[in-house]
Amino acid sequence: MVDWQVLLVGEFRYVLALVVLVVGFVVGYLVGRLNKRLLVAAHVPEAVEGTTFERTVRSLGTTTVSLFARLSSWFIYGLTIVVALHVAQLLPAEVFLVRVTNFVPDLFVAAIVLAVGFVVADKAELATSERLKSVKVPEIGIVPRIVKYSVVYVSALVAAGQIGVDVGALLVMLGAFLIAVIIFAGLALRDLLAASAAGVYLLLNQPYSIGDQVEIGEHHGVVQEMDVFVTLIESDNQEYIVPNHLVFRKGAVRVREY
Amino acid sequence: MADLRELAADVVEDVDALFLFSPSGSYYEECTNLDTDVVVIAPENTVSADTFVELPLEFGDVRNRIKFGIEGALDRGLVEGGDTLACAVNLFSSDIDTISRVRADDSMRSGVYDLFVNSRADPNVIRDVLEVAVELGKKGQKGEPVGALFVVGDAGKVMNKSRPLSYNPFEKSHVHVGDPIVNVMLKEFSRLDGAFVISDSGKIVSAYRYLEPSAEGVDIPKGLGARHMAGGAITRDTNAISIILSESDGLVRAFKAGELILELDPEDY
Repeated sequence: MVDWQVLLVGEFRYVLALVVLVVGFVVGYLVGRLNKRLLVAAHVPEAVEGTTFERTVRSLGTTTVSLFARLSSWFIYGLTIVVALHVAQLLPAEVFLVRVTNFVPDLFVAAIVLAVGFVVADKAELATSERLKSVKVPEIGIVPRIVKYSVVYVSALVAAGQIGVDVGALLVMLGAFLIAVIIFAGLALRDLLAASAAGVYLLLNQPYSIGDQVEIGEHHGVVQEMDVFVTLIESDNQEYIVPNHLVFRKGAVRVREY
Repeated sequence: MADLRELAADVVEDVDALFLFSPSGSYYEECTNLDTDVVVIAPENTVSADTFVELPLEFGDVRNRIKFGIEGALDRGLVEGGDTLACAVNLFSSDIDTISRVRADDSMRSGVYDLFVNSRADPNVIRDVLEVAVELGKKGQKGEPVGALFVVGDAGKVMNKSRPLSYNPFEKSHVHVGDPIVNVMLKEFSRLDGAFVISDSGKIVSAYRYLEPSAEGVDIPKGLGARHMAGGAITRDTNAISIILSESDGLVRAFKAGELILELDPEDY
């Protein structure tokens, strides 16, 4: 049997620390390379293209992918240094070391969560603004912003929770915010939601279509236009704009004159 | 021999306003320093001019372009009838290279501006349909010239004044002109007989429609066929406009209120 303990005494421990350092750096570098390849293979570069995060990172002379890869490398480098110092017994207090080794992975995960959060937030902002492009209201630009900052907020919450910051107050804020949004949407958009729910049915099934004579409530006329929210019916001189939920509530009569 | 500049000075002497057609930013800047009123006519207000008339189509024919601009300006009260205008347009290059002196009077009212802006259908929809017709006129169906008839706007009434020739391929679909797929689709459907009916907001309501307007009192140029007659007549009976691609001469024509308003050659675009 080789007595491994002999390696930890005397001058040997410095050699061992050096070995640990070298191995650690090599492993860190390789993991970084591997991560980069994995991320590229998972089409991450295409996915993050055009996000503000990617642009910011690029202005710092790197890319999202290499940033993530480097992050994992740095994590291993840091761990290596701590282990090497431990082996060389250069660190005075054992307690401090334990705390650091417990804390580093948390910090690492938090950093990853934050970075992923930013990328997802940018992506969500892009996707929403793309969706809303056809909505020609200038103020619509605020919706993608809200989506973006909500995602950033949640990821910051998760990251803060990860490194042990007390997130109770922030959670309460998030809850209040969500409830406000839901109540606001429920109150303000109630009619629109009802109309669009009915409108989806009307558009899919088309119980009546453009050119039909219909009677909705007390309005009688020819259907001129149908969209998700309203049905336009026109009689001799008047054009009625009937919200689609009224079509459901009051029913529509199709008039045949043959 | 007089200086060339004097000749040019005669053209722009005592004009009431200067019309710039699709000017570049720097050109517009220079013109705003002059002490004449400047009106910009372009597809998009890229120079953020205060007095601006939107050009829905890049008219290949300069005459049409100028007429459209003047009609728009008259309609919106930017200039008055009888004013003398200098129109700076691009004829051969993409920069402004021509200045012409025009009197804004009623002979300038061709109704093209009215066709776009004061029709029931959205101006963008009319532009899209015109573009589709021009495209169709250029390429045809498998190299053969095709004809097509689009009735735009007031779809409810048009549907009531027409009957189906066969099953409507657009039933329960939600295709709008301007959707990328439409060009291909209409090219395929253009071999069908009958008219396309398009709603105010650009939804393609039906193809294969046989129009049944009363052709009474419709005055369309002699020599045009049944397609133009039907297309022209339906615009008298309803508030729709019709855009027709002729199979025989390949021109695109637009009718409103039973009258021929616009004639375009697809090859010019």
